[in-house]
Amino acid sequence: MGDLAIFGFGEGGWGLSLLEGAAMTLLVSACGLLIGAAIGGLVAWARLSGKRLAGAVGEGYAALFRGLPELLIVYFVYFGTSTALTETALLFGHEGFIGVPAFAAGALAVGVISGAYQAEVFRAAFLAIAKGELEAAVSVGMNRALMARRIILPQVLRFALPGLGNLWQVALKDSSLISVTGLAELMRVSQVGAGSTHRPFAFYLGGAALYLVMTVITTRVFDIAEARATRGMRRAAV
Amino acid sequence: MDLDFISRTFVRLIAAAPLTLTVWLLSVVFGALIAAGVTWLRVSGVKPFELFARGYVLVFRGTPLLIQLFIVYYGLASLPAVRASFVWPILRDAFNCAVLSLALCTAAYQAEIFRGALLAVPHGQVEAARACGMSGFLLFRRVIFPIAMRHALPPYSTEMISMVKATALVSLVTLWDVMSVALKIRNDTLVTYLPLILAGAIYFVVNYAIGAGFLALERKLTPHLRPRPI
Amino acid sequence: MTAETAALTVMDMHKSFGQLKVLRGISVTANDGDVISILGSSGSGKSTFLRCINLLETPDSGTVTVAGETIKMRRRRDGRAEPADRRQVDRIRSELGMVFQSFNLWSHLTVLENLIEGPVHVQKRPRAECVEEARALLAKVGMSERESYYPAHLSGGQQQRAAIARALAMRPKVMLFDEPTSALDPELVGEVLRVMRALAEEGRTMLIVTHEMGFARDVSTRVMFLHQGLVEAEGPPQELFSGATSERFRQFISKERA
Repeated sequence: MGDLAIFGFGEGGWGLSLLEGAAMTLLVSACGLLIGAAIGGLVAWARLSGKRLAGAVGEGYAALFRGLPELLIVYFVYFGTSTALTETALLFGHEGFIGVPAFAAGALAVGVISGAYQAEVFRAAFLAIAKGELEAAVSVGMNRALMARRIILPQVLRFALPGLGNLWQVALKDSSLISVTGLAELMRVSQVGAGSTHRPFAFYLGGAALYLVMTVITTRVFDIAEARATRGMRRAAV
Repeated sequence: MDLDFISRTFVRLIAAAPLTLTVWLLSVVFGALIAAGVTWLRVSGVKPFELFARGYVLVFRGTPLLIQLFIVYYGLASLPAVRASFVWPILRDAFNCAVLSLALCTAAYQAEIFRGALLAVPHGQVEAARACGMSGFLLFRRVIFPIAMRHALPPYSTEMISMVKATALVSLVTLWDVMSVALKIRNDTLVTYLPLILAGAIYFVVNYAIGAGFLALERKLTPHLRPRPI
Repeated sequence: MTAETAALTVMDMHKSFGQLKVLRGISVTANDGDVISILGSSGSGKSTFLRCINLLETPDSGTVTVAGETIKMRRRRDGRAEPADRRQVDRIRSELGMVFQSFNLWSHLTVLENLIEGPVHVQKRPRAECVEEARALLAKVGMSERESYYPAHLSGGQQQRAAIARALAMRPKVMLFDEPTSALDPELVGEVLRVMRALAEEGRTMLIVTHEMGFARDVSTRVMFLHQGLVEAEGPPQELFSGATSERFRQFISKERA
């Protein structure tokens, strides 16, 4: 088949598979980012709480997952959760290996890594909120829950957007490591295509091009979101 | 699982550390050289050079390192043009492919660090140097580089650590680094957690040492950014 | 004195930024020992004029002659002017000492290191000699105890005095001051003006862009009043400040006093 025909959508064409792989990449990255947001929020809250033990645990989590290779974490989460699940099932009398679905393990791994960095983004965003605004909220009679929902959270999200945009790009790239679990995201599809057609250069280049397109488009989306979210805010000179 | 097994595993992992560190060092150094070139193009004032530099950074930061690695290791090796050329003796070796690919990737990140550092040099201090009669390489050597370098240290430290983590990917192109050995031990012994935990510990210690080293360097080079000792 | 032996001669300097004509033909001759205050409102071109003398800005036309040596200029293909000889520019700059509004001390060097940087690396003088001279200069500006301080640990007045010493360390023929006290808190202005006055009394050749009317009146040998890129009035301070010459200048000083 001709060079470009293998990327086509017809019979024997890999175009559809690659696009499906890209969609899977977007999905698993997005799930990873959300898990990371939950973890990051928790860790940031622990570090801001002022309680020493919570702060230490939070800092420890961040330090740990920023010092370990992402590939190692992917393996650890994938094998580790499968092993844990299998052994737990064993306790209940179920024999045989149970594998955790690659998607879940992959998203969890990306999330665990992202969370360590998102924690810092959230923490910095929270600290950037002018104390005066919080004092104004209190003096108007808001209780803590209301203040958190109406004043703190929207502001944190606004300040965190640039950092989060960055971390989204990182998540997209980290998701390529999930290919070692066999999940049919873009990297894995490229790999399978390359092996099956014996055209590694074309497939990996094509896969890279798709990653680049995803990066550029999603960066633009984040830029627009940032511009709209920071309407009316005074920004420090860059 | 006994102490003997743990220590044997650990020894096997440590034995692979030199390979990991060598890949890291070579890719970081070559990356710095490439990054210097890319930065020079970026600030050259010549439009086509600038566009190339920007494109380089976009491509190498916008795509996963893993796919870049596979393009070099699997992709280039499959091209008849490459096999016939003078670079083939270099590229047929997995180690060289790995170092090349990692270097190209870190160069993009380092180029952005260099660019930010140059922008951070206060314009007034450059003017004062020019007003004294400094220009060209002297100006760069005595004023621009020292100030820019101090601004570059914190993000550079982060990038150095990222590169140590990136070396784990070479396990996927047949190199026997710490990551590969850990996986092999797991496959052979079916012990899941221990090899990965020990490997993680080794990576963590290396990264911690690098971070501490850079922190010490920062402290030594920037007394002017801290309050004066009474 | 003829133009050949004057310390600094600028002839018919023009400079535009895009469509905006900032300098429309300014000339000045400074003989040895002249202290020339350059006054004018914002936009009159006074800082631009000073910065064109040592080519931090490139004039569109006109000549600059320092101690008899004229800076060679040429035209680029796109019509813009540029210095013809880079090394001549560097050399002449090393003979002119500039003091900036925002001090511009090198932040990674101590005060002493700031002072010897130019002499050692540009003028290639022996380090020991430069250090000795630097220490003498620091004593002169009252900064001896702070020679190993970093600029970030000094007040504005201290930084500016160190910056003046740094300019002096190059043994300049002419000193250029670009609004040296404008960025200082009021109570620190005095210590810098005192140093500048001492230099004037020593017989140094100085061109000073300033808003300090008192200093201009009491210390200068000549005052130049710029308005919209031209020299509106020029002469001994008593003449200008008495209101005898320019109506515009009278308006200007009354506004400055307000």
